[in-house]
Amino acid sequence: MFTHIPEARVATYSNFKAADGTTIDQGIALFFPAPHSFTGEDVLELQGHGGPVVMNMLLMRIVELGARIAQPGEFSQRAFLNDKIDLSQAEAIADLIDSVSQQAAQGAMRSLQGEFSKKIKQLNERLINQRMYIEAAIDFPEEEVDFLSDGRIARNLDELECALKEVLQQANEGALLREGITLVLAGRTNAGKSSLMNQLSGRDSSIVATIPGTTRDLINEFIHLDGIPLKLVDTAGIRNAGDEVEQEGVRRALVEIENADGMLVLVDLQSTKDWQEDLTSLIRELPDKEKLLVVLNKIDVASRQPEIPKHFDYPVTCISAKLGTGMSDLKSLIKAAFSLDLSEEGSFIARARHVEALTRGLDHLQVGRDQLLSRGAGELLAEELRLCHESLSEITGEFSSDDLLGLIFSNFCIGK
Amino acid sequence: MDYPKQFDVIVVGGGHAGTEAAMAAARMGTSTLLVTQNIDTLGQMSCNPAIGGIGKSHLVKEIDALGGVMALAADQAGIHFRTLNSRKGPAVRATRAQADRQLYKQAIRGYLENQPGLQIFQQSVDDLIVEKDRVAGVVTNAGIRFKGKTVILTVGTFLGGIIHVGMQKHPGGRAGDAPSNRLSERLRELPFKVDRLKTGTPPRIDAKTVNFEGLDAQPGENPRPVMSFMGSQEDHPTQVNCHITHTNARTHEIITRGLDRSPLFTGEIEGVGPRYCPSIEDKVVRFADKNSHQIFIEPEGLNSLELYPNGISTSLPFDVQLALVRSIKGFEQAEITRPGYAIEYDFFEPRDLHSSLETKHMPGLYFAGQINGTTGYEEAGAQGLIAGINAARYSQQLEPWCPARSEAYIGVLIDDLITMGTKEPYRMFTSRAEYRLILRQDNADRRLTETGRNMGLIDDARWTRYGEKTELIESRKQTLASSWCQPGNTDVETYLGQPLSREYSLSELLRRPNVDVSSLLRILELEWPDAEVNEQIEIDLKYEGYIARQEDEIERIRDQQEANIPDSVDYNEIRGLSNEVKQKLQDVQPETIGQAGRIPGLTPAAISLLLIHLKKAKQLIRRSA
Repeated sequence: MFTHIPEARVATYSNFKAADGTTIDQGIALFFPAPHSFTGEDVLELQGHGGPVVMNMLLMRIVELGARIAQPGEFSQRAFLNDKIDLSQAEAIADLIDSVSQQAAQGAMRSLQGEFSKKIKQLNERLINQRMYIEAAIDFPEEEVDFLSDGRIARNLDELECALKEVLQQANEGALLREGITLVLAGRTNAGKSSLMNQLSGRDSSIVATIPGTTRDLINEFIHLDGIPLKLVDTAGIRNAGDEVEQEGVRRALVEIENADGMLVLVDLQSTKDWQEDLTSLIRELPDKEKLLVVLNKIDVASRQPEIPKHFDYPVTCISAKLGTGMSDLKSLIKAAFSLDLSEEGSFIARARHVEALTRGLDHLQVGRDQLLSRGAGELLAEELRLCHESLSEITGEFSSDDLLGLIFSNFCIGK
Repeated sequence: MDYPKQFDVIVVGGGHAGTEAAMAAARMGTSTLLVTQNIDTLGQMSCNPAIGGIGKSHLVKEIDALGGVMALAADQAGIHFRTLNSRKGPAVRATRAQADRQLYKQAIRGYLENQPGLQIFQQSVDDLIVEKDRVAGVVTNAGIRFKGKTVILTVGTFLGGIIHVGMQKHPGGRAGDAPSNRLSERLRELPFKVDRLKTGTPPRIDAKTVNFEGLDAQPGENPRPVMSFMGSQEDHPTQVNCHITHTNARTHEIITRGLDRSPLFTGEIEGVGPRYCPSIEDKVVRFADKNSHQIFIEPEGLNSLELYPNGISTSLPFDVQLALVRSIKGFEQAEITRPGYAIEYDFFEPRDLHSSLETKHMPGLYFAGQINGTTGYEEAGAQGLIAGINAARYSQQLEPWCPARSEAYIGVLIDDLITMGTKEPYRMFTSRAEYRLILRQDNADRRLTETGRNMGLIDDARWTRYGEKTELIESRKQTLASSWCQPGNTDVETYLGQPLSREYSLSELLRRPNVDVSSLLRILELEWPDAEVNEQIEIDLKYEGYIARQEDEIERIRDQQEANIPDSVDYNEIRGLSNEVKQKLQDVQPETIGQAGRIPGLTPAAISLLLIHLKKAKQLIRRSA
């Protein structure tokens, strides 16, 4: 990653390099040789430019070089066990580990939502199924279950590899990091969607006019929200469209909403007396979306300040898209809703852990397949699949050899 | 009366666990007493007449490497040897011997009777002598009191045993022997957790009444494998064939009609049976779509006309047994010599044991074998050996010893038992071992002989031969690494099927997937006898990368494995642990941080909290330090 080892205890401005020699980021490297470090072990500290995309690349590069992502609270734990932290602080450290590991668990849960979780589960089941056949062949060679010598295993391994690659790709994409999140701007015609879009992007991409139905096409805009790519989709205003062109716009809006990660629902405060009632009827017309943020627009021309109940069903904020007021509150709201606030471990690290585990799993799977095909070494395939499964278990939870035996006994008639 | 002599180690039970326990303790120089109900049944194979098998021969060879007698006896009694998984790579290869029951018993009895320092006494044990909460000896049914510093209980299925044949049941150990109910009651008074298991055997068949014509004969393996490091093919008696037959639709119909009188299906039997060794009625019900099941017909001995039909263990009533047997090809005219039966028996929660197999509730008392919820001669023998070693070490005031999971299947067996307990009769499988590529049957000697020697278990003959073997391995390895093959060596290139691009050392060539050592030696006209030495070299080279990786992993977690948790730790005091985790720790009372981490449901964060607590209480002691 460096051309040479950074000097001890000196801040060195360096290029952080990828495997192919290209620069991932530039920043400060600080090397603290043992025992003069926080943990009492050799510690290398890298300060980069931030932004989850670059940070993720840097993290993956470090992992590729043999490091692993620390367990929650592990640094403090090591410092403590190496006598770097006072015994009197034991309780504080214990509390820290407790709370950080709870946060990590929450982060993992957030990362494991929706489609991604489903895919991982399916993948895991397929892997377990393969292992069941292979381990049965090894442990019960006289039971007419010799699957290793039949061609199906190789084919199944190919399929498994494809599935794993697909999940991995999705984990990277859906990571909300590389590709970012997609947000749909929804709301009634003339609620100010295009203005908000321009406000967020700082560009005049939507045609802004006060004639209802001006935006007849979808307009996509990529913006950066503190380094997180955010894809905004401005939809044709939803209303009972008159002409065909507009009908097409409405149809496409509904498709975009379906595929997006979340939705900003814009309510026009100027044209409504009861914004909540307006919102309710609007939501009824929209497809179901798990993540829904409510933006009350035109606060500058509203007849009165809107009342926002304390425990409202959705996150709400007020803005004036025209003047640009309330924009930073809106950004915080989005970040919070998608757990993109990087001041906490949150889902960023959780997802990075998942990607790391999947990458390791894929590696073992590929080596195992080669072992079977080039050497006919079923026991080495079994070993690689065990390691692959161990990696996946970091995401899906414990799976013991006894669980595996249980599956073998319930699926095959074994027993002399 | 009080017996005039005091012993270091008293072993109760003369089965496979008791044998290895008594032999190990005596070999280590402690005065040892073996008390058995019946001297004539020492070394009895009460179930199928076979030693070894997948995962099991690994245990046998480990027992052997620690100086035990199971493998030696198997070589003297084996009438049919097979290598299992011979085409699947050395790590999962296994050896199995069908044994002549009489020869096996005779061999075991010979070893026991000739072992210096070991006394044998026939009487059943009714009670333990307890002094100051420690075990201090045993009392026999005739009231003879034997005092001893340690007691090892290896009483198998004799505790609270009930035998079922159909709806009839009667108390019993194995068929023909009485159960030890007095002892069972005594142990139930102690705070041990007791549970119930079930196992079964098939009806035995008179060979004279079997028609072998048309049945598949299964000859033994050629070349014939040997079980013991000190054994040889010359030890083996006459070899015989096994045969294979199958159940059929009619058999299954007979079984189905008899289910209303099956103790298994009418709820008579409460104990949990092994999933991997179901009765034939269980197989027929659970796998209804399979219309045939395999049966291995195993001879019971050279001079016995009994056959063991492996695969039709049953507790159906006798009339159903007879009908189902006679529906099977080859058995049309068969006579049953002994009915099959199911047996329910008590076992003691093995999580109440230390890794030394000493009980947590009574210092000096050790449990080994089926009493701990395992099944199998090999599993029993392995535990007996460890209990024997540790009882001897206890009496010599030495630290206990148990191999790690990375050292031996014995370590996997004991760690699984004391960490997770068991819900069914526990049996070894290779898939239970995470270091499967290191724990091979072929290198058991290299893994354990030296440790065994240091503990006084290994005699000079074995030690010398072991030294010669390891030396030969090293010197041949060096020869291979420093011998080179030049491009243009047509013999070698023809063998490889491609030209050599550069000079290669012989070790490099051997690492290649399709190169095997014997072919290479033949081509190079090297005369290297001792095939097992050459095999070791080849395996070392072929598995090199995997072995290195597993060794790295072992090294990485060594600190945790060796960090002891003192008995005095109060899990309730540990901040941040959930009640569930506290309860789990309390149940297992792990000996090391490593073991704690293997308790199902213990997260890394919980382990961190435990570590910090121990450190704070200054209770963190490194075993190696």
